[in-house]
Amino acid sequence: MKNEVFFVAKDGSVYTYERLFKNLEDCTSISHYCYIPDTYDILVHILLCILHGIDLVLLDHDFSKNELEALGIEPDVLKESIEVSSLSIVSKAELISAINGQESWKLTLFTSGTTGLPKKVTHRLTNLMRLVRQSEKQQQSVWGFAYNPTHIAGIQVFFQAIMNGNPMIDLFGLSKDTILGQIEGYSITNISATPTFYRMLMPTGRTFPSVRRITSGGERFDSSLAQNILQVFPNAQMRNIYASTEAGSVLESKNDRFTISDPTKSKIEGNRLFIHSSLLGVDDFSEEWYDTGDLVEMVDNASGEFIFLSRANEMINVGGYKANPLEIEEILCTHPAVIKARVWGKPNPVIGNILMADLVCNRDCSEKEIRGFLKGKLQDFKIPRVINFQDDINTTRSGKIKRV
Amino acid sequence: MIKILLNIVNTVRENKGLAVLGSIKSPDDLRSDLGLDSLDLAELTVRIEKETGIDVFADSFVNTIGEILEKIEKQ
Repeated sequence: MKNEVFFVAKDGSVYTYERLFKNLEDCTSISHYCYIPDTYDILVHILLCILHGIDLVLLDHDFSKNELEALGIEPDVLKESIEVSSLSIVSKAELISAINGQESWKLTLFTSGTTGLPKKVTHRLTNLMRLVRQSEKQQQSVWGFAYNPTHIAGIQVFFQAIMNGNPMIDLFGLSKDTILGQIEGYSITNISATPTFYRMLMPTGRTFPSVRRITSGGERFDSSLAQNILQVFPNAQMRNIYASTEAGSVLESKNDRFTISDPTKSKIEGNRLFIHSSLLGVDDFSEEWYDTGDLVEMVDNASGEFIFLSRANEMINVGGYKANPLEIEEILCTHPAVIKARVWGKPNPVIGNILMADLVCNRDCSEKEIRGFLKGKLQDFKIPRVINFQDDINTTRSGKIKRV
Repeated sequence: MIKILLNIVNTVRENKGLAVLGSIKSPDDLRSDLGLDSLDLAELTVRIEKETGIDVFADSFVNTIGEILEKIEKQ
């Protein structure tokens, strides 16, 4: 027990379960909001809130003041904290059973909204842990943690790992060599990440036999990437997940073809995927079926297999993150020189789509100036990477501009 | 060609607030030596394509300046 690893941070620092229990015991006050940079601290904060039964609002640490205000969160409330009594947990089994005892605990996250404002989604613990698999075999797993810990995919990996007492090795945002070094060094067995993450690792020039399970989600999956992945991880089984912040993981497949596994939980109507409200967050019971906005196409009527085409709305998938062009255009137009702005996604082999901006300005402007203006107002992935200055823009959203 | 590439790399670096480089070499790793992340690499591909008409990441991932030059010269 003494040296069992709970978490290995990006800088290589190792946090044992023993250290985690000490941190849980030492804490005397907690905030209802989590707005901190380090993944270990975020995970401890989540656990503290669960164990003390304090509902939590999880925020990206790179949300700017403007973005927080748009979510209706005043800076002062982030500093407020609740006093708590000391916790005494001394084993993984105790921790797991204490988490299980907090079924009604609620977590709030934000998804990129479709109208310019992020949408608040609140999940009960039971819903977040819906797909957690616990078994003796799972207890041997070592997880590569390759998602942002404040997003639903990261949260689901966290629960899968913690409910089996597994170590988690942070791989999110690290360089290719460091990631491969950690996979080998810690004999990582399970990795869950976006296709962009796997693409960044290729080619590796060597194989990693310790990896047994590769999960891909958040973006459309392509079969050539799957082949590359299986060459690098020859002992791995692949799984492709369809998930959303509103519902967490919904569908699972071995490739890019999905089927409706449970017709009471999801269905297809008019080439769109609908999810049953029982899978959604607690504030979302208004309608029985929720329209995901994702367009699908039947490829085999007999077996019911379908593939995902694109989103019906205009969110742009940038390396697994959803950027809302309307939100970015709005911010661009607050620059004194910008008269008109159009933001669009250009398909890109590295990150799925790269954000492009077309601008009409009332004076000479540089890309550097615009990028500098957006920095601090928007999260990094929402900042257009190539800016074209034009005499005019047809601002009606015609079919010419491809938004994926 | 390496000069054009240097200009492009410097544009990407300047946009993210990194210092302009005086030179680049074939073995330079795009991530560890030139400090580019995945968003920067995406930006780099668009700018190279604009300049040369070639999508250097189209069929496989490239890691170094030399690999980019090779792909451009092949076309």
